[in-house]
Amino acid sequence: MGLLTDIKDSITRVTERLFSASEPKRIGIYGPPNAGKTTLANRIARDWTGDAVGPESHVPHETRRARRKENVSIERNGRTVTIDIVDTPGVTTKVDYKEFLEHDMEKDDAVRRSREATEGVAEAMHWLREDVDGVIYVLDSTTDPFTQVNTMLIGIIESRDLPVLIFANKIDLEESNVQRIANAFPQHETVPLSALEGENMDEVYDKIAEYFG
Amino acid sequence: MPHQCTNCGKTFADGSKEMLSGCPQCGGNKFQFRPASSVDRSADAKTRSADAATGSDAIDSDAVELDATEPDTVEPGTTEPDAVEHATETDTTSSETTGGARAAVRDWVGLRRDDPSPASESDGAASDAETSDTEPASETRTVDTGPDAGSNTDSLDGPTDGPEDRAQASARSDVVSPEELSAARRTAPPETDGRVIEPKSDDRPDLAQLREELNDQFESIKILSPGQYELNLMELYDREEYIISLQEDGRYVIEVPDAWRSHDPDED
Repeated sequence: MGLLTDIKDSITRVTERLFSASEPKRIGIYGPPNAGKTTLANRIARDWTGDAVGPESHVPHETRRARRKENVSIERNGRTVTIDIVDTPGVTTKVDYKEFLEHDMEKDDAVRRSREATEGVAEAMHWLREDVDGVIYVLDSTTDPFTQVNTMLIGIIESRDLPVLIFANKIDLEESNVQRIANAFPQHETVPLSALEGENMDEVYDKIAEYFG
Repeated sequence: MPHQCTNCGKTFADGSKEMLSGCPQCGGNKFQFRPASSVDRSADAKTRSADAATGSDAIDSDAVELDATEPDTVEPGTTEPDAVEHATETDTTSSETTGGARAAVRDWVGLRRDDPSPASESDGAASDAETSDTEPASETRTVDTGPDAGSNTDSLDGPTDGPEDRAQASARSDVVSPEELSAARRTAPPETDGRVIEPKSDDRPDLAQLREELNDQFESIKILSPGQYELNLMELYDREEYIISLQEDGRYVIEVPDAWRSHDPDED
């Protein structure tokens, strides 16, 4: 039953790709917590639709439910690429409410946030399996990219043969090291940017149109 | 040659696997057991195969019954008619000395045969009985020497024992795996008298222990304590169902895939 469903699904997916090129692709914005996924999603959404996707915060796990912004039309070189942006909760292998206590949060709130964040990771992983046609993998270029989460997620994305772009975010910060990310995932294209400051967004949109158009 | 086809009289080495799929000569699936103590009479038995067949039919059905009801007394039933006069007492002593544990092992292993027919199943049990019977049998052979057994068994043991042992060895190594043996050992309570492990009632597992145990079994989200979680991303990714919410008591609310529900065409 599961096999049949899988086959059916993959056929549906293939035919969708073949026959409805205008159907917007769902691009999942993935990455560890606090990489700037929502900031990027908001930047893209604001640039092309005028709306935001969701609240940004420096507190990890601000995004605890995947949020989707549909029909984001990006114009590149006289061509329009329409995508649905899915901003996902930061993926991690550990969630601890104590982390939130540092951000002036009551214990009850921290525990609730922690639970919601965990649910969010489960949801993000589920979407990765079921519901995305391409991935923008956002990394904080000031941190070490060699983590279990990054390796595992990139591995999963590769195993699904999804087109993936790696965004080295936060290049406006001094400690930013884009090359470290490029070295970590040499098999993929790494695009440096600052979603917060809007740095290098032209290349970002070029690459999005190239990879997901 | 402790096994003999009751149909054509073909004999088989102790522990032989040949007969497990029926007599290769005539296809018969009833065999009688000739313990080593009566091996000197096997020649007679062969020539009087018709006689043996009729005689053993009753014994054989007897064996099946006994097998089903009381494993401990299988051995006397499986002895062949010729040997009954003196073999019964030797075999009952051997079954007495070894007790129910062996019978349990034998039964258990016998039931593990793939052979579907009940007759051959009982044969399988019988053959296993013999594999475990070799020691007591040889013991009784010396104790219970008939008037002529001393010299005869010696002369017969030379040619027969070698191949028999090999057959036994292969039967054991091929059929009974270590897990099966350990499982069989578990099913033999008489041997482990007084060693039944009972949970100590004074230290009941506390909640943390219980949680740990559950976590070991179900690994996609490990709840260390409320608000502290460890996530197995591969598990989360691999699962078809999707966890919507975590409850305080460690329960999950999951969304099951459409495929799991009864088919509803309106539902997407």
